[in-house]
Amino acid sequence: MFDRFDIFFVQQLVNGFSVGLVYALVAIGFTLIFGVLNVVNFAHGEIYMIGAYAGLMALIFLAPPWVALLLIVLAAGIVAGVLLERAAFKPFRRFRDEASLKSKAMRESTLLSSLAVSIIVREATEKIFGADMRPIPRAYANALQEPILIGELAVASGQLVILGAAIVMFLTLQFILFRTQIGLSIRAVAANPLGAQYVGVNVDRTVIATFAIGSGMGAVAGILIGLYQGTIFPAMGFAPGVKAFVAMVMGGLNSIPGAVICAIFLGVSEAVATEFFAQGWADLVAYLFLVLTLIFFPTGLFGAGRERV
Amino acid sequence: MTTTRRTLLLAGAALPLAGAAVAQQRTVTLGYQLPLTGEFSQYGERFRNSAIMALDAFNRSGRIPAQVNIVFEDTRSDPREAVAVARKFVDNRDIVAVLGDFSSSAAIQAGRVYAEAGMPQLSQTASHPDYVKISPWQFRNITTQAYEGPHVARWMAANGVKRVAVVSIQNDWGQSVVSNFADAFKATGGEVVATQMYNPGNREFRAVLTDIARQRPDAIYIGMFYEDGAAFLQQRRQLNIRAPVYGTSSMYEPKLIELAGPGAEGMYLSTSFMAESPEAHVKAYVEEYKRRFNSEPNMFSAQAFDAVNIMLEAIARAWPDVTRQRVRDELARTKDFPGVTGATTFDPETREPAKTLARMRIQDGKFTLIQN
Repeated sequence: MFDRFDIFFVQQLVNGFSVGLVYALVAIGFTLIFGVLNVVNFAHGEIYMIGAYAGLMALIFLAPPWVALLLIVLAAGIVAGVLLERAAFKPFRRFRDEASLKSKAMRESTLLSSLAVSIIVREATEKIFGADMRPIPRAYANALQEPILIGELAVASGQLVILGAAIVMFLTLQFILFRTQIGLSIRAVAANPLGAQYVGVNVDRTVIATFAIGSGMGAVAGILIGLYQGTIFPAMGFAPGVKAFVAMVMGGLNSIPGAVICAIFLGVSEAVATEFFAQGWADLVAYLFLVLTLIFFPTGLFGAGRERV
Repeated sequence: MTTTRRTLLLAGAALPLAGAAVAQQRTVTLGYQLPLTGEFSQYGERFRNSAIMALDAFNRSGRIPAQVNIVFEDTRSDPREAVAVARKFVDNRDIVAVLGDFSSSAAIQAGRVYAEAGMPQLSQTASHPDYVKISPWQFRNITTQAYEGPHVARWMAANGVKRVAVVSIQNDWGQSVVSNFADAFKATGGEVVATQMYNPGNREFRAVLTDIARQRPDAIYIGMFYEDGAAFLQQRRQLNIRAPVYGTSSMYEPKLIELAGPGAEGMYLSTSFMAESPEAHVKAYVEEYKRRFNSEPNMFSAQAFDAVNIMLEAIARAWPDVTRQRVRDELARTKDFPGVTGATTFDPETREPAKTLARMRIQDGKFTLIQN
């Protein structure tokens, strides 16, 4: 068994870390929206996919420089997020009385409406673009897929980009949440929506802002990961979405640092599991951790006693 | 119970009209179950395109004094939906034979329904060994892994490969890729040093690649479809693993090279259809497909084209007695059918097709035929 701890094992840790970062990029936006609405946004994976397609269209028709590309994708994500909020979440906030706001049924309806939007968007994308993987213009794909050799280890340039993006997104989000006015209202609504409303926070505006921020980040994650994996297709949001969901639950549902740590932990343990079992079993690892967390830490590993968001 | 009653009612209703119906032009109806939505819809799209081409040509030719039409039903290639569609086709007394489904899993589940009801079924792609073993009603127009696996194993042995790592998708088909290849490769004196199965939908192969690289294989054999294959080849390049890759014929698709770019360079694969073939009937098929559907046909489109033509041929031979039983018997008599995927013969007993396999390598961003 100990002969396994060689250079390939280190390579496996590097692989796992980069997979974990992919989950983390998706989990950040996911957790932010959950923190505020206390409801799972099932369409987050589709926002990620829309980001990838918007970026791809921009690459094909405009061939913009990298900064412009990211801004275009960010804008597309924000627009998609706001539209999603309008279509799937706003209609269920019509009733302002306390009973409705606390009602589980109301929350669960948005769960289903976001699922509905996600299916409609995914199938519509399949109808328009086809269900198959889209080829990416070579110059852009190569930029994120070049192997970089460090001794016997190999990392792809895209892995470094994703590491950078994860750090930037995480810090930007912390800045927005703790240093800006809108961040303050987001935290207020997350802590107590009724209370926030009574002290004059515009709940509607705050929810829309949360969707804009979370979806913008989801869309940027989509194009970066799509380019790095070289796989842009309508169902691309599903697998990372599920893992991000697991990371969010393990992290305690509303702790962004918790979700990021759990996402990286998941990625590394999946890669290490591949050393000992067939890849088919690696998925089981994620769900095993989910079940163990729910049994032994019902509030998540980082959930209890922390401020929400 | 319901079926019987409905059939009786239909028969009763049809009797007085029987005289009138003879005077009208007859139509022969086929069912085609295929994935038109969902993850595999690009394959279903290709099958339908090819089917329409074959059907138009047949109806124009006037081989039989009747029109043939095809009812297309979407199953997403999901085994449960495949069963629902199979029941629907069986209940429709107009349908004399069925084409499809795409995946072995869906074709097998639907096949059980057809076996019970006595409906001939011809799948263009179901290559799992168990599929034709369901009943004498199942046919396929694809050589199976029992045929392709040993072919690739001998090819590798001839190229001096001794140690192979096998990576394959975790489904019925993927398992048959692994077992057929491994047995034949061991028979040549080689060694399978690692076997990895991955879950459908997974496109992250770095962990699998790192694991098999440790065994220092001479070559990697991959059993997957071109999209997974493209991701695999790109990630192999990113991890700087140099062992050459041999692929199953399912990877022959021009988009593989577009998607994988430099990662695809040097890959070996075998195929029964080659779009660049100089043969006249293949050229005609490729040109018409491009003109009508504005895309390149691949092996899947070609297999569907041949499958539909083989079915139409069987109907023409059965005419005017086009019943489910007669069509089955005529399908079993298919011999040296000159299709775009090579001359095809169905074994009357096992109903397995025999075809010729060509060898290719990806060089300078192109599939290149290797002369034996």
